[in-house]
Amino acid sequence: MSTRVNPNMIKDLQKFGVGDWNACFHCGNCTATCPLTEQGFLFPRKGIRAMQMGLKDKLEGQVEPWLCYYCGDCSDTCPRDANPGEMMMTLRRYLTSIYDWTGLSGKLYKSKALHLVVVSLIFSAIIAAFLIFARVPDPGSPDVAAYLEEMGATVPLNKFAPSHLISFLDHIQLIVIGLFLLTNAFNMFYKVVIKDKTVKIPLWLYVKEIAVAFWNFVTQWRFNKCERKTYWLSHWLMMSSYVLMFIFIIFFLDWFQTDKIHPISHPQRWAGYYITFGLTFACLVYFTGRFRKKEAIFKFSHHSDWIFIFLLLMITVTGILIHIFRISGMANMTYYMYVLHLAFEVPMVFTFVAFSKWSHLAYRPLAIYFSNLKKSAKARMAAA
Amino acid sequence: MEEQRIGVYVCWCGSNIAKMVDVEAVAEEIGRKPNVVISKNYKYMCSDPGQDLIVKDIKDHNLDRVVVAACSPRIHELTFRKALQNAGLNPYFFEMANIREQDSWVHEDRDAATRKAVDLISAAVRRIQFHEALDKRTVTIDPATLVLGGGIAGLSAALEIADAGKKVFLVERSGKLGGRAAELDLTFPYLNSARQMMAPILQRVQNHPDIDVFLDSHVDETFGYVGNFECTVVGKDGKETGLKFGNTVVATGLKTYDPSPMENYGYGKLPNVVTSVEFEKMLLDGKIETKDGKVPGNVAIIHCVGSRNKDIHEYCSRTCCVTALKYANQVCSALPETNVYELYMDMRAFGKGCEEMYARSSRRNIMFLMFDKEGLPTVTKAPAGDTCEMVVEIDEKLSGETVEVPADLVVLMVAAEAQENARDVAHAVGVSMCGNDFFIERHPKLDPVATTTDGVYIAGGCQGPKDIPDSIAQARAAASRILATIAQGEVNVEVTTAVVNEDLCCGCQTCISVCPYTAVSYDEEKNVSTVNEVLCKGCGTCGSTCPTGAIRSRHFTDQQILSQIEGLLSKEVA
Repeated sequence: MSTRVNPNMIKDLQKFGVGDWNACFHCGNCTATCPLTEQGFLFPRKGIRAMQMGLKDKLEGQVEPWLCYYCGDCSDTCPRDANPGEMMMTLRRYLTSIYDWTGLSGKLYKSKALHLVVVSLIFSAIIAAFLIFARVPDPGSPDVAAYLEEMGATVPLNKFAPSHLISFLDHIQLIVIGLFLLTNAFNMFYKVVIKDKTVKIPLWLYVKEIAVAFWNFVTQWRFNKCERKTYWLSHWLMMSSYVLMFIFIIFFLDWFQTDKIHPISHPQRWAGYYITFGLTFACLVYFTGRFRKKEAIFKFSHHSDWIFIFLLLMITVTGILIHIFRISGMANMTYYMYVLHLAFEVPMVFTFVAFSKWSHLAYRPLAIYFSNLKKSAKARMAAA
Repeated sequence: MEEQRIGVYVCWCGSNIAKMVDVEAVAEEIGRKPNVVISKNYKYMCSDPGQDLIVKDIKDHNLDRVVVAACSPRIHELTFRKALQNAGLNPYFFEMANIREQDSWVHEDRDAATRKAVDLISAAVRRIQFHEALDKRTVTIDPATLVLGGGIAGLSAALEIADAGKKVFLVERSGKLGGRAAELDLTFPYLNSARQMMAPILQRVQNHPDIDVFLDSHVDETFGYVGNFECTVVGKDGKETGLKFGNTVVATGLKTYDPSPMENYGYGKLPNVVTSVEFEKMLLDGKIETKDGKVPGNVAIIHCVGSRNKDIHEYCSRTCCVTALKYANQVCSALPETNVYELYMDMRAFGKGCEEMYARSSRRNIMFLMFDKEGLPTVTKAPAGDTCEMVVEIDEKLSGETVEVPADLVVLMVAAEAQENARDVAHAVGVSMCGNDFFIERHPKLDPVATTTDGVYIAGGCQGPKDIPDSIAQARAAASRILATIAQGEVNVEVTTAVVNEDLCCGCQTCISVCPYTAVSYDEEKNVSTVNEVLCKGCGTCGSTCPTGAIRSRHFTDQQILSQIEGLLSKEVA
């Protein structure tokens, strides 16, 4: 039995992004313009068609939306202003909700109010937790004074929020969110690879293709095939800064969150400044871009885009302020900023990493991995 | 033969001829031919100074025949004939040698092209020596007009002519006026009521003092020629009325295709597969429902049923795409909960305001699915327990997927085709037909309302599928052509006709069987053929068929043609 069209699915899809779904009349200009599309993985037109026709099964198994980095060339040159680039973005949001077996993702995407409520609740909970459990260290107490003496520091942040405790909570967060993300990623694997009966992938190929996938993850080199190189740069800065920050926080918090003020030549400070620079630069680019709405990729902003960039900006700003206050010896301000920093960071991680925008950190490299697997397997089948 | 005085003019046509033909040498050589009094070359013969040159020479040198070697006679023969007339010569003492299309434009060897020009002009010079003076003839025009068909085209033509104060006989086969347009609910692209549009037209026609309406009537045959036709109208009760008229408008319309033979659509077998005509009736009755009276949850509209199909009609029926859009919009508005699907081959929304309507429609909740003419959709009954009654399977071209469309009502946009009695009508009024039984116009671009028979015009769907504005435009164009001839009072008829030499005619009637204009008839008393010079177009078919050489085509006599050939082939020995 062939697939049945579903005219009502588009009503659901519209909540994930742009509205004028019937504007596209399939001239194919978008696919012709795209530097990333290739035989076997044609987009954006085919994906738009599947959306228009409501081919749910086909959409769920599509890897193509993740192969797009959204340079916006297709939308700029679309003769019907159908905004194919944003349609791909819409599909990525939709697929994120499809991979997520808990259903939370879809709810966050479809409801701005819910997403804001969840973020606010977690924000308040973090502040409440600090109010209840944290104690501001008394610089007058001999214990603290001895500690400051030993560290050569002026602000005893680790007395306020001990890095081993924060690290422990981080690990719990990692495990919880990681479990969701992993299971969602496996769901993606099931839908994209296992359900696709047209291709059989031998096990050794999985090993062989890992190196390429990892290389792509680290360098985002595929994005560089798009014509606008500045997009790649700002995206890579943001990605590398965030990943670096993630690694430090999860695995090396003791080293990263010190009260001792290292000399400027110390690698800890370089790393911190690099992360700060990368995040600030990217935040400014994306924030101003979304406000000005000049470039195709910024013309339409879903509420998840706004919340994401807002939280990231707040994390960056509070992070910078923590640093400034700490080296200036302003202890109380440092603590307040630290609380705010976490109050922005936790809802960000909780709502975005497994259930929304940030999950593309996993899905996109996986998509490249899966598509390369399919390509190699098909090439082998053709050769045989 | 008395001495003749021929003037020859070789045109340069700027550089068109001069670059490949040595026009001066040609003119000089032709000037040495017997009877050629003067031979000149000039840059643009067709220009006013060029024509003046001819007029002046005719007067100064007492010329009695003129040859112009220039472009095709199709372009400028009339120009030069007029120049001769202005100089007081009979315009048929003129011959044109085509040394552009048939020489300079198609050759690359200048010497050979020059020799060829000499040969072509020699042929014309030989031929023109046998030309005869021919006089133009006119016939008077009867101001009444016969309009066949009471649809929107016939009605428009009738009103246009009658409003000018001329008599119209309007003959309609069925019992009511209005045709297809009267069966419509709304018209595209602005979704205006067809009834509101038709009512005043019908009222005016019925009450017009200069329009005689014959309902339930037909005309079996018309006789006569432009300006002077006659026929008998036969009514339902067998009542016969004799009519005399000068012109005819054929506006007999078209009919719709019966899709029963197309098994893939299940028309006639599945109760809720209906044609566009039946769906229009539903809309007119204000009820979109299935046979068992339910509101359809899914309506599938299938385009090109019988059109653009090499086994049925290869042509596009032109109105169905936008009609289908109209239906989709009407369903969307009437039944907001219903899903509407348009299954189309190509969306041909070309008329004024139609592309905009398509654009508007595409923003409504209508799913457009494209198929290829090699893989038509198939309608089948849905399996028991399904949410819909029928399933349409389609190889969707834009996605490359084979998909199912749920349907409770399937509307087939059936093709428009010629009326079943189109051949009889064509015979009755003397119009020709194209391959699809539609009537053919005199020229597909330059003369889209006249036919090959003078005084007979076509308008509306009988010429090919058309929407209302196009039908009316054509009808009014035909009417204005007729009014122009009526205003002239008389009309010129062809003078280069065939004549029968009764002494040579053996009465075999071969000529009658080949004449495409029914211009030749048989005189039983004399046992000879006679040519009706009004109907004759001078095509020459009878003359070349005649076994005894009794038929002579004026201006294309055997002697003229043979001397032309001699001129072309004979070489003067230097």
